[in-house]
Amino acid sequence: MKKKGTILVENIVFIILNLLFLSILVLFLMRQGSGVILLEQTYSKQIAMVIDSAKPDMIIKMDMYKGKKLAEKNGFDFNDAVKIEGNTVIVKLSKKGGYSYSFFNDVDVSPYAAKDNKEEYTGMYVFEVREKGVENE
Amino acid sequence: MNNKRGTDKLLSIYWFVMLTLIAGGVFAMVYVFYGPPYDVREIESEILAERIADCISKQGTIDSDFFIDKKFNPAISESFTERCNFNFDVEKGYGNGDTEQIQYFYEVEFYAIKDLVNPSFSLNDGNSNWKGDCFIKKENKKEYARLAKCKEKRFYALGEDGDQYLIKILSVIGKSEKNVKQ
Repeated sequence: MKKKGTILVENIVFIILNLLFLSILVLFLMRQGSGVILLEQTYSKQIAMVIDSAKPDMIIKMDMYKGKKLAEKNGFDFNDAVKIEGNTVIVKLSKKGGYSYSFFNDVDVSPYAAKDNKEEYTGMYVFEVREKGVENE
Repeated sequence: MNNKRGTDKLLSIYWFVMLTLIAGGVFAMVYVFYGPPYDVREIESEILAERIADCISKQGTIDSDFFIDKKFNPAISESFTERCNFNFDVEKGYGNGDTEQIQYFYEVEFYAIKDLVNPSFSLNDGNSNWKGDCFIKKENKKEYARLAKCKEKRFYALGEDGDQYLIKILSVIGKSEKNVKQ
């Protein structure tokens, strides 16, 4: 009777370890594809390329729904996700870190998160491009 | 019974070795796929070349500011970067840390149609150290990944007096620190 009990415990431990192992693997894969670091880099480079090609008086809308979801998950205000300092785009989707990338187009850009009628973020980000030194009307 | 226990133990060890190998493979694949940063320098150099072309000619005619007394205006090379609204400042993280290296370079050459060897006029700005990278034959991509990315664009345009010019634009982007795995 004692021996049977030992075998059962061994099997349970073996199964639990297997499950733990596989779930860590799946979690790792899921986190890598939609991780903060990867999205921050993607968005900042995308935004820099868009601004480089933009001309003054353009209004550009960009879908950042995945970023919005991630920012909400990390308790970070989506409206603060994109900052433009000088000619550098800084994207932050959590309280720590952030990714910056510079653009060469010498324009003023105002980024803000678009909201719907219920004053909730839609996941779209708006970039207003203006000539350098020209005030917003 | 002892033999069976022994076989079971061996089987579980074998099983864990297999799992470790599979997990190692998955980790390695993911690391290789997501590890290196996205390289956007080719797109960036293409955009820069397009912007320069837009700045030189409109509807196939070179801007009149490029000429003075039916000759190329040398003063335009001083103001070209500003005129095109380019700002070559970069964020921290490039160069050796003490001094921020300029990560851009461009060169524009104007060739009269009767002499396509010697340029009638040329102008450039940015970090000329990057230019050499464009002429290195990149046979093995991995070894040369840290070199700057270049884009050459050529087009024809008419001058002030109707003369035809071949315009060659070379745009170069460094920025390997943020686009290539170090």
